[in-house]
Amino acid sequence: MIKFHEYHILSILLLFLMIGCSDGTIIMEEEEIKHNLINTNIGEAKNKTKSKEERRESINKAYNYFITLEGSNPNRIKTIEEISGVYYSLKDYDTSMKMDRRMLEIAISEKDSIAMAKAYGYLGIYYRRKDKLDSAFKSFNDADKIYRNFDNSNKKDPLTYSYDHGKVLIDLAKLSRKVKDYSESEDLTIKAIEKFDLSGDNSYMPLSYSNLGIVAKELERYEDAVFYHSKAIEYTKNTPKDTLYAVLGNNNIGTVYKSAKKYEKAMEYYTKALSYYKFLKNRPKRLSLLLDNLGYVKFLQDSHDEEAFSLFQKAFKIRDSVNDVVGLSTNNLHFAEYYKAQGNDSLAKSYAIKVKEATRIVNNNVELLQAYQLLSKVTDSDEGLGYAQKYIKLNDSLIKEERSYVNKFARIKFETEEKTQEIAAISRENQLLIFAILGLSILFLLGYVIFRQQQSNKELLFEQKQQQSNQEIYRLLLSQQLKLEEGRKMEQHRMSEELHDGVLGRLFGVRLSLDGINQRANDGFTESRNVFIDELKSIEKEIRLISHDLGTDTLSPDVAYVDVVESLVSDLCTVHKMDFEFANDENIDWETIDDQKKVNLFRIIQESLQNIFKHAKAESVKISFDYVDDKINLTILDDGIGFKSSKVKRGIGLKNITSRVTQMNGVVDFISNQDSGTKVSVGIPI
Amino acid sequence: MIDDHPMIIEGYKNTLLGENQKEYQIKIDIASNCDDAYDSILKSSKTTPYDMLFVDIKLPPSSDGTITSGEDLAKHAKELLPKAKIIILTMHREDHRIHNILKNINPSGFLIKSDLTSSELLLAFNNIVSGTPYYSATVNNHFRKMMTNNFSLDEKNLKILYHLSRGVKTKNLPNYVSLSLSAIEKRKNQIKEMFSIAKADDQKLLEEARKRGFV
Repeated sequence: MIKFHEYHILSILLLFLMIGCSDGTIIMEEEEIKHNLINTNIGEAKNKTKSKEERRESINKAYNYFITLEGSNPNRIKTIEEISGVYYSLKDYDTSMKMDRRMLEIAISEKDSIAMAKAYGYLGIYYRRKDKLDSAFKSFNDADKIYRNFDNSNKKDPLTYSYDHGKVLIDLAKLSRKVKDYSESEDLTIKAIEKFDLSGDNSYMPLSYSNLGIVAKELERYEDAVFYHSKAIEYTKNTPKDTLYAVLGNNNIGTVYKSAKKYEKAMEYYTKALSYYKFLKNRPKRLSLLLDNLGYVKFLQDSHDEEAFSLFQKAFKIRDSVNDVVGLSTNNLHFAEYYKAQGNDSLAKSYAIKVKEATRIVNNNVELLQAYQLLSKVTDSDEGLGYAQKYIKLNDSLIKEERSYVNKFARIKFETEEKTQEIAAISRENQLLIFAILGLSILFLLGYVIFRQQQSNKELLFEQKQQQSNQEIYRLLLSQQLKLEEGRKMEQHRMSEELHDGVLGRLFGVRLSLDGINQRANDGFTESRNVFIDELKSIEKEIRLISHDLGTDTLSPDVAYVDVVESLVSDLCTVHKMDFEFANDENIDWETIDDQKKVNLFRIIQESLQNIFKHAKAESVKISFDYVDDKINLTILDDGIGFKSSKVKRGIGLKNITSRVTQMNGVVDFISNQDSGTKVSVGIPI
Repeated sequence: MIDDHPMIIEGYKNTLLGENQKEYQIKIDIASNCDDAYDSILKSSKTTPYDMLFVDIKLPPSSDGTITSGEDLAKHAKELLPKAKIIILTMHREDHRIHNILKNINPSGFLIKSDLTSSELLLAFNNIVSGTPYYSATVNNHFRKMMTNNFSLDEKNLKILYHLSRGVKTKNLPNYVSLSLSAIEKRKNQIKEMFSIAKADDQKLLEEARKRGFV
């Protein structure tokens, strides 16, 4: 029955185990399916052959799956970055921004600084798109700060982040350019170029140099500007973007020359740009822009140039056909200027008003400003004055706005800087704290070491004192014993002499006298008296023997130590009712042996006897000193219960014995078997 | 008669006077210490010298310290009274002492007190008077032992053996025999060689010495 039950329990247990296991695999599988779903949905969403709605649906699905198992996704940062990218490409910028925010949160929670910097970069792009320049600047600045920390800490390989850092820097540079902080923009661009150089990825180089060129133009360093733009063109040579940059670059150089009032040169470069006709045919905005620019330069060189007007018209037609509002506004401004130059103020005014209306929609304040300027010139005095005032007001507000942005940027930068400084300060404080703690702990350690040293010194001193007192005790014991011995010897001598010379002599005299009398008296008792006389003689003999024994000086002074030991053994054994045998090898010259050794041997015997009395349950003990090969061997043997050497923890007694023996450079053995007694052998070199 | 115990003198007197008064005219002077004895001997040498001296070995020494025992006294007596018969009576029976006394004094009589009975004393007295020396049995024994050995040990060697037999250790022997430790060791080895037991330990040496009668 029992066996049966056991079997059942076992099988039930096994069953549970299996269920448990299969549960686990189900969860695992589910997760894997979801991961796959996310990946395939993202893939589909990226597929540009599908319709926007399909792609949006796929990415929404992917995001929903992503939310359900976010925690367990090992590379969730990458996944959400991809999702954000898809939303961005679908032009759903707000959702993309939400994804970026989520990415930032995850990155912060995972302490992944690179992902944090990337997320800040994405957010900056979003804010710039939304024209929230200060927020954008803040985001880019945050990203830049993280990258700069990498630079300072040297913890990460620069290759892994310098490309991203360059992108952020160029974004910052663009922002600065936008608020006309050109020198700042130039600085940032140069830094960005350094970063791109470091990363070995040149794809942003043309953009960077273009930016430099534009900034240089604004700073009126025209030669530099031309140089930068040509460099941008150079970088794109033999890349898919070479035509685009050839057009853009030549256009830019043309604009630089236009600003430098070198109209011939400007025309030359615009014409060069226009020579990429094949490319421009499919890009009406660019084509019209170039045409317009060329026309405007021609107009600037010669205000009555018919060709300029026809170019304006050509551009206008193209722009009108693709409803290029911004371009049309510029075109209208140019028309207005042209008509003004021809003295046709009313036409100029109508075009200028068109520009004014259009710029409200496209929010191009520069052109609005120009329109106001134009209007103030082409209208009669009152109206002109109004436009002039408007012009001044707008100009002021624009400058103010730019300044406020510059200030805002500066403040953001300063705040970040401050934060970094604060962090630095905190870290300095932390460092100080660490140093303080370290110093304190070192001090404490030092104190502890000194304390230990003192303690051990004290211990040593104490040991020394103990040794001295031990010796003193021994000396006292010995001197006492010697005195006792001396007294005894003297007394024995006295007794011996007394017996020999006094008692024996007198006895002899008496016997002789008695004998003499006996010879003469013949009363029949001679024989019986002779018996007593013989008896006297035998008494004499006995006394002489006793005297002889007493007088024999067998007690040499060195016997004293052995006596001390023997009296110790005998005293202790008598108290504990134990038999003992004590043997001393006469070849040991105790007198020449160092007192310390004698004391130690004495203590070892004492210690061993204590052990025997306490634990051994012995009936007898044998103690012997032997002299072998310049060594004193002390053996203490009992017939007690013994102990298992391995089982018994080394008690203080055994430790003491061992330490004493090592002190004398000797060897000690504790040999014991259960029920066969214990043997302590000590060998001490002399 | 020189002895520091009046009881013993009394004993001698009793024995000698009790029986011999009929045959000899005995006049006895007694002294109980070296000074008195020496004075008496000196006096008698100038008047009527003593015929016979009974000398105990252990005596209170003279006040000037030159005469410390009966042995010294006997030496002086031999010079002062060359005709006098000297009888040594002593409690000591150790071989080396007997040996010494025999060698230094060569007494006419040598009696060991512990062996002595009144009849023996009388016998000795009569022998010596008639010119025959008399020795106690113990002394004779000593002679015999000496004779059996075809060699003899000098006083120092005997002393060494004697003290060893008493249980004194070799290293303490210089306290008893006026020799250095190394000299003692040398002598011990010589004795062992003489006993033809070279390389034996002290125990063996003593056994042999006892067997041969040196101890």
